[in-house]
Amino acid sequence: MSVAIDRRALEPWQDPSAVPFVRIERVTKQFGDIYAVDDVSLSIFQGEFFSLLGSSGCGKSTLLRLLAGLDYPSSGRIFIDGADVTDIPPYQRPVNMMFQSYALFPHMTVEQNVEFGLEQERMPRRERAERVGEMLDLLKIGELRKRKPDQLSGGQRQRAALARSLAKHPKLLLLDEPLGALDKRLRENTQFELVNLQERIGTTFVTVTHDQEEAMTMSSRIAVMEAGRILQIDTPTGIYEFPSNRFVAEFIGSVNLFEGRVMQRDGDLVTVETRLGRPIQMRCPLPLALGKPVTIAIRPEKIRLSAAYRDDAVNQIRGTVEDIAYLGDVSIYHVRISPDQVTRMTLANIQPQTEQELTWGQEVAMEWSPTSGVVLTD
Amino acid sequence: MRRGRWPLFTILAFGYAFLYIPVALLVIFSFNESRLVTVWSGFSTKWYAELFRNQQLLEAAWLSIRIAAVNATFAVLLGTLSANALVRHRRFRGRGGFELLLTAPLVMPDVIIGLSLLLLFVALQQGIGWPDGRGFTTITIAHITFSLAYVAVVVRARLSQLDRSLEEAAMDLGARPLTVYLRITLPLIAPALLSGWLLAFTLSLDDLVVASFVSGPGSTTLPMVIYASVRMGVSPQINALATLIMLFVALAVVVASLALRSQAKDRGHRTNARR
Repeated sequence: MSVAIDRRALEPWQDPSAVPFVRIERVTKQFGDIYAVDDVSLSIFQGEFFSLLGSSGCGKSTLLRLLAGLDYPSSGRIFIDGADVTDIPPYQRPVNMMFQSYALFPHMTVEQNVEFGLEQERMPRRERAERVGEMLDLLKIGELRKRKPDQLSGGQRQRAALARSLAKHPKLLLLDEPLGALDKRLRENTQFELVNLQERIGTTFVTVTHDQEEAMTMSSRIAVMEAGRILQIDTPTGIYEFPSNRFVAEFIGSVNLFEGRVMQRDGDLVTVETRLGRPIQMRCPLPLALGKPVTIAIRPEKIRLSAAYRDDAVNQIRGTVEDIAYLGDVSIYHVRISPDQVTRMTLANIQPQTEQELTWGQEVAMEWSPTSGVVLTD
Repeated sequence: MRRGRWPLFTILAFGYAFLYIPVALLVIFSFNESRLVTVWSGFSTKWYAELFRNQQLLEAAWLSIRIAAVNATFAVLLGTLSANALVRHRRFRGRGGFELLLTAPLVMPDVIIGLSLLLLFVALQQGIGWPDGRGFTTITIAHITFSLAYVAVVVRARLSQLDRSLEEAAMDLGARPLTVYLRITLPLIAPALLSGWLLAFTLSLDDLVVASFVSGPGSTTLPMVIYASVRMGVSPQINALATLIMLFVALAVVVASLALRSQAKDRGHRTNARR
């Protein structure tokens, strides 16, 4: 799991006076009885690399198609760059899309594919040729210009499709699983390339992906979707460190959840009573009523593991090491803390594994600080 | 292993023999000297020469080819439109009825098609004065009626295989629906249009029954002439004519399959996941 460094000092979504570039207002899309998109509102700002993340069937692709105009919403409005485009057909929107299957025209060469959109704009021939050359250079596929799509590798097709969708200089580029059809190694390289490209040309990107790692690496912000609804919109860091509900916490990375009830509250320090021994103290800005059932979410790498039990530690749970998976850079420990719960934590292998003091079946203590997790109410 | 193949080869040989010996005989006897079709008496091309002097036969052949060509063209046009309606519009009023009517000629006996069309043409002539007599026009219309169904089947199969996102991509790039159809859809379904055209052409050239019902005096198609002359006793001219037709059809098939092959290369991959 790599959390992207914040690439933008500027975070327009923090600024209440900033005008969003794309505004989706209470949009619903029904297919028969199924709500593919269910009352979604969303603002995307100029120059963002915005990801819609979710498992298949969550409505993310439908939302993208609504932005492209390939489907029309059952209700709600969509604004792009200040204009209401809700009823505008796809061929009149200042938006281009890169399709998951790339959808390169098989009977045209790469060059003709890229030129197609410009022809529709009635751009003069010379200007067109210039723009095509520019795009092919940008994607470094100049030498493939005379090839047809079936003479290209997967990676080359992806570039050709990207060149075609950028050729018209769209205000907004939509990417449907842009890296989905590439193999793993190529995908990792392309992730960074795509981000660099986006920063260079400054176009607003909206991408759809089911791959959380991909979303984390590339995006300025992520919207996590499930069953047609948006569960959380935040930066990759925000989504990972401060998930707003259980679904997001479990969907992104792995997480340990402890259920309990609010026992005491002192400022933003909440004491939660669980079935796992001593009460747990967590920082939580939300106003929580006493006795309210809550879930504490702690990421595996935020937990310290030691053989020694200390009485003065704030949050401490005892357990038995049940499994150790050695992955080289880190090891994953499974610790049984109760008959029906096993927690998971990752420890960096700072020392060579041979000198590690923890082994199978050992009694251990797990510790974390009140700030290294979140309290969830649903 | 070797030995095990023998029965298979035998069956294959018999199969081919059954299919092609009659055809081979027809070709061989077209070069027969004798007037009798079944007795070989030496090589000659005189029946070809005589064929080209037989005005009636040539006129019938020319008529049939014209009918076949016009029929094929209209059948492709209408069949493609029908296939489009069925593939692209999942729900419209009367879809079920349309589909049924479109495919009915595939299973309807020729005699019934011929008879019903004859009744229609007669009624029309009495009612509105058109068609004025029966001939080229009525035969062509009758042929279009059933060829259309075959073309629709072929084009529909191809169209439903077509990746919808190709058309969506074109629209996304600013092409209006008509442009999308002309620049993307048509080129991609062109092989199906070509095979549909050839199919319709062949069906028309082949038809005896329907044409017999709806033809009039002075418009005798080739199959009708051949059938009539066979009843009088087969002339080797018919063999010569059949040989020429076969040559023509074989050439057309070769051309078509070459065209299809170069198209297939362009087809690329058709994987697509919508949602």
